[in-house]
Amino acid sequence: MSNEVRRFSHGSRVPGWDDAVDLTKEPASVPDPATTPVPDELRAEIEAAMAKYPDRRSAALPALAAAQRHHGWCSPEAIEQVACVMRLTPAYLTAVATFYDMFDTQPVGRHRVYVCTNISCSLRGADELCERIEQAAAGDPDISVRHFECLGACDIAPMASVDGVYVGPIELDEVDELIDDIRNGRPPLPRKQLRLRPTADSLPLDGKDNG
Amino acid sequence: MPRPEIKMITFSIDGREVQAPENTMLVDAAKYGDVEIPVFCYEPKLGQPVGACRMCLVEIEGIPKLQTACSTPVKDGMVVHTQTQRVHEAQEAVVEFLLLNHPLDCPVCDKGGECPLQDISFGWGGGRSRFVEPKRHFQKPLELSPLIAIDRERCILCYRCVRYSQEVSEDYQLVLQERGAASYVATFDGHPYVAPFSGNIVELCPVGALTSKPYRFRARPWDIEGAGTVCTMCPGQCNVTLTVRDDRVLRVLARDHEEVDDGWLCDRGRFAYQSFHVDERITSPLVRVDGELRPVPWDHALDVAADALKRAGGAVGALAGGGTTNEEGFLLQRIAREALGSPHLDSQRAPVDRRSLLAIGDPGLQATVPDIEYAHAVLVLDTEPVDEMAILDLRIRKGVRRRRVRLAVASARPSALDGNAALSVRFAPGGGPAFAAELVAAARGEAASDDARAVVDLLRGAGEDVVIVASERVGAALAALADALGLRDRDGAGLIVVPSSANGRGLREVGVLPDAGPGLAPVARPGLHAAEMARAGAEGELTAFWLHGVDPLRDLPYRERWEQALDRATDVIAHAAFLTEGIREHATVVFPVEAYAEKDGTLTHPDGRLQRVRPGIGLQGRNRYGWQVLADLGRRLGLELRVLTAGMALAEVAAAVPFYAGLTQDEIGGRGIRWQEREAASAYPRPEGLPDLAAPTVREGAGLRLGTFRSIWASPEVEHSPALRFLVPRQRVEMAPADADRLGLGDGQRVVVSANGSRVEATVTLRHAVPAGSVFLQDGLVRDAANTLTGSVVEIRPAVTSEVAG
Amino acid sequence: MEKLLFKDIDEPGLNTIDVYRRRGGYERLRKALAMPREAVLNELLASGLRGRGGAGFAMGKKVSFLPKGAMDVYLCCNADESEPGTFKDREIMQKNPHLLIEGIIIAAYAAGANKAFIYIRGEYVLQADILDAAIAEAYAAGFLGENILGSDHSLSLVVHRGAGAYICGEETALLDSLEGKRGNPRLKPPFPANQGLYQGPTLINNVETLSTVPFIIEMGGEEYAKLGVENSTGTKLVSISGHVKRPGNYEIELGMRSRDIIYGLAGGPPDGRKVKLWFPGGSSSPVLTGSDEDLDLPYDFDTMAKAGTMLGSGAIIVVDDSTSVVEVAYKTAYFYRHESCGKCTPCREGTNWTLKMLDRIRKGEATPMDLDIIASVCENIMGHCLCVLGDAMAMPVSSMVKKFRAEFEEEIERRRQEADLASAMPEPELPLIQGAVA
Repeated sequence: MSNEVRRFSHGSRVPGWDDAVDLTKEPASVPDPATTPVPDELRAEIEAAMAKYPDRRSAALPALAAAQRHHGWCSPEAIEQVACVMRLTPAYLTAVATFYDMFDTQPVGRHRVYVCTNISCSLRGADELCERIEQAAAGDPDISVRHFECLGACDIAPMASVDGVYVGPIELDEVDELIDDIRNGRPPLPRKQLRLRPTADSLPLDGKDNG
Repeated sequence: MPRPEIKMITFSIDGREVQAPENTMLVDAAKYGDVEIPVFCYEPKLGQPVGACRMCLVEIEGIPKLQTACSTPVKDGMVVHTQTQRVHEAQEAVVEFLLLNHPLDCPVCDKGGECPLQDISFGWGGGRSRFVEPKRHFQKPLELSPLIAIDRERCILCYRCVRYSQEVSEDYQLVLQERGAASYVATFDGHPYVAPFSGNIVELCPVGALTSKPYRFRARPWDIEGAGTVCTMCPGQCNVTLTVRDDRVLRVLARDHEEVDDGWLCDRGRFAYQSFHVDERITSPLVRVDGELRPVPWDHALDVAADALKRAGGAVGALAGGGTTNEEGFLLQRIAREALGSPHLDSQRAPVDRRSLLAIGDPGLQATVPDIEYAHAVLVLDTEPVDEMAILDLRIRKGVRRRRVRLAVASARPSALDGNAALSVRFAPGGGPAFAAELVAAARGEAASDDARAVVDLLRGAGEDVVIVASERVGAALAALADALGLRDRDGAGLIVVPSSANGRGLREVGVLPDAGPGLAPVARPGLHAAEMARAGAEGELTAFWLHGVDPLRDLPYRERWEQALDRATDVIAHAAFLTEGIREHATVVFPVEAYAEKDGTLTHPDGRLQRVRPGIGLQGRNRYGWQVLADLGRRLGLELRVLTAGMALAEVAAAVPFYAGLTQDEIGGRGIRWQEREAASAYPRPEGLPDLAAPTVREGAGLRLGTFRSIWASPEVEHSPALRFLVPRQRVEMAPADADRLGLGDGQRVVVSANGSRVEATVTLRHAVPAGSVFLQDGLVRDAANTLTGSVVEIRPAVTSEVAG
Repeated sequence: MEKLLFKDIDEPGLNTIDVYRRRGGYERLRKALAMPREAVLNELLASGLRGRGGAGFAMGKKVSFLPKGAMDVYLCCNADESEPGTFKDREIMQKNPHLLIEGIIIAAYAAGANKAFIYIRGEYVLQADILDAAIAEAYAAGFLGENILGSDHSLSLVVHRGAGAYICGEETALLDSLEGKRGNPRLKPPFPANQGLYQGPTLINNVETLSTVPFIIEMGGEEYAKLGVENSTGTKLVSISGHVKRPGNYEIELGMRSRDIIYGLAGGPPDGRKVKLWFPGGSSSPVLTGSDEDLDLPYDFDTMAKAGTMLGSGAIIVVDDSTSVVEVAYKTAYFYRHESCGKCTPCREGTNWTLKMLDRIRKGEATPMDLDIIASVCENIMGHCLCVLGDAMAMPVSSMVKKFRAEFEEEIERRRQEADLASAMPEPELPLIQGAVA
């Protein structure tokens, strides 16, 4: 957990707070299309998103998501490309991107694993699970594991979202299998995926523990 | 668009009945009852309140929860309490929260002593903290730009600076990143926050988080004085307060004037004060001896200059520009006309004849600056406000953003306002007058281009109140256009004509024109305008030049011709603050010109407001007042001017210009007065019809058409202010990607731009918005300025490497 | 009880339009479109349906607040289900998306809205994909688009995916986020009904609320109002999680005894454990205890309010006696600190401070005096913020401190001893004010 950051140490607990600007850079205004190449596919995706809304700016979230898919993360280059197509400044989009947890403004692995450690999941051992998953994936640059706030699947606690696929309840002894599935590009723990789970209400009240 | 009517209501605050305008926010309404409600995030200039800091919580009867006074409009009969236990507790709580991570490093903080956080902590805080955790500490101060330092420890996240960047200057460069307690103010990927109006955030910051680097640690609030005056660096004439310590200007702050600047300043106006106190400034009269300019006593310089002028007599060409005041301009033209017998006077960059000036200056056609905000539509015609009259840029943006003004932009070069415009049209460089004539035709229902018709349709479709912000060089067609759109005598509509120098309107109204005397009266024998003077000088017809605040090589077109003229002239008498090239190489006598902080005089704003420039510091070095120097010269030339004080000089002006009649310094006061609103305005000469509007069409032909512009940063004051030096522009040629492709040029490449054998070097800047066939170069630069080129159709080829390297 | 929302919920293929229509889907839309707008609105008013998102505001009334005029009216479906413990909307969208779509079309008709958006939290990838597919089907079948079923009602519907921010479930933050901004809540007034999305009048309702609308049309408002209890009409989905044997979503009739939900439906805590405390309406609701008095409370809006808490989103989180209340408070505060948008002072600073104090308790560095400060800080947050997020932390945390003060004090003492008093105040590793001076 992030509260482990040492007290009193000078190092910032807030990334960015210690950063000055680089005075050799030009001010970042809206990128000029004449000098900002944007991949056609990404441009098309952003333009399609803009067309869906009465105000093009509404497409900021879908456009950033598209750029993140395209570049792997919301890199400065990715943000500049979105800014160029949407006619916004990259700073505006950075402000948006850093607000939302699902946009990565630092490089990450190809696979994102969000482990829910909020109340309901932690009551069922999520903190330990998260630690175990982090350990199992440690050193693999392709897999980025992070603890996440409530993912809205407390019925399958403790759970994780693997590249958007909800899996749970995950037992500690299933962690290696899960990481193995991710590494090998297989569906993660197919038997534990939320999409296959019946609604609790439609199960007979036989006293069986379905958690 | 009619302005909202103000209705007074009665409400009760802390048990007293108070009258206030209905729907003003409680924070402001409370002031009518002398009740102060503390605020951090509230700043009406930034638009709608956001209610973020929660400092202004008050109790309103009938509403269970405490309300933010900054966002609650006052209603008749409202009962408000600001001194109850509940309110006190809430305010103490907010102060305690704000100070949790604030470093309280007031002794070493630049803001200390003038800090709202200090004041509010003292006035409304509990004076204690229960926070025992260590505060966060970060590196500080950090650079946010070469002008501004940021101290994130001190930041209380009030949102003012980022709201400013997004909702006032609209540069969207400064933003909050991350969220919650981790939020911080930053730019994109470490780019500096550099924008024409960035310095305003320093003044907005209610703590010491954003500080001006040039001002940091130069003074404490208790050893400075404030002196109100007017900035004379551009026609915007923003009202300023100079921070003075030991007779030096250490800072420039906005002096909020809703009718002029709306409380903002551009960075040139805010930081170029540094140029007042640099060694390069001329602070003594200079006379050229053996080819070199040497300091001499005043009397000697005055004698030499008077002799030279007398010798040349009717062959003197006199120019005025820069921050030349009405008084100085008036005295200059009197001496030239009466003592020297020379009619050759000018103050304009491009010639506009007297009849046209008379028409476009007509009181019935004038709009005011606030009209921009309340108009149904605004047309920006052949001018780039941010470069030519910076503060209008913010005003136009405000109108569009807050009052949904419909904006049309018609220009040759892509405009900074295109993004706000409902319609932007482009014409060929130099095509402003021709396009204006087309607009007139369109407005009259005659045949016109599609673009012109579209603009007129937009203006008409928006409503009756149209404000046209246009460059002076467009000329006569502006008056015809205003009439054709029915703007005459319409309150809230009309023209704002942007002159080519800071006091351009004043100078032409006091008679610094070749074909008009004071009050735009006709003259018996018209003289030559500026461009003709250059030719006449080069051909030996004029033998002396008298330059007041102008360096023709820097400020005027036809540099080559001017070089010949100044070279050939027997004498060049200059009034200047800096030895720019033309002065350095050609002046025979140089009189120091005061910085505006030393000046005493009046200016006329483009909307007709006379404003006082008042001395905030004493005269530097051996400087004398400009009106005094001119009066001394006049006396030596046999003209008794009866001018012993600035006030007497103004009286002379007021006596000579019928529509300024009776003006005194007292009447102008600290806020200025528009002459159109005085009785004397009826003395404005009757318009005498317009010259033929069929403006010369732009020559079509092979090659790229050259347009020029002068950046806000192209000025000697910027070059001589250490803090601003990084902004001094270098020549670059803006061109369309298609043209660059055709010529095999790429962005950032060094090229030679040539015309008729003249040439400048520049760096290619590709801009998507530049129309193919047009290219743009900058004027007003120290080297490679666009006025070096002698033609308007240019060729561009890559610079030969050896030329650059060798 | 007959199920409404969960009727046939596990029927294979219910998420496709064919199966949905075979089950009577879109017939209620046909019925509604044949009625005048006012009649539809009257049914909604008569139903007494209260918003299922958390605030519990009467849905029909909300619709009736929309000004009549020529402006564009918008409908936003709040599917940013992020309140910890809540996962009911997910179930509807995943398994019965057309029910939601049908509800949206009918509600938009009543509200006079022609543009609708579903703001779904970005984490719900599967559900958003299912909705996208279902909307495409609805367009193809003529239930969306111009002149629906030949009526004068037209509606466009767009699924807008969020990107991970709890605060976007707050209705005005949702609007900012939908406009492509940071999800900061706005000042109210103006309320969204007057000035919402793109400054236009906007109706914002939760997924469950809108999904209930077709049943109201089918049954008639008055008939629907017979379900449940007075002032809490109808059925409600409850999400039960935490220490229970059968966590999951259950559809209940409002007014059911809480004990019957926790023990009867969800099976109660694991054998041998007792309920220590429970959140009746998501993690932002003040907690109730495992006492008989609390467990016997009828589960409805008014009873919960009377008990000093709230029904909220209908998410019950059960904590048994194996877990320390300190950890629960810490997790709660941690979440709200993380999710605070940072716009207003009390929430941004208050949640951060509270978390730091709770962290000191966990580390054995606190004294019972800190409990008073926590209570006071919570007090200073409540009612002073721009939106309810600050209160959402302050309410449960202060309720825990109040109801479990003895346990807190015990924990403080125990952990202090564990942490060894001598090391409670570490030496600074670096000078404190390094770099503080220019």
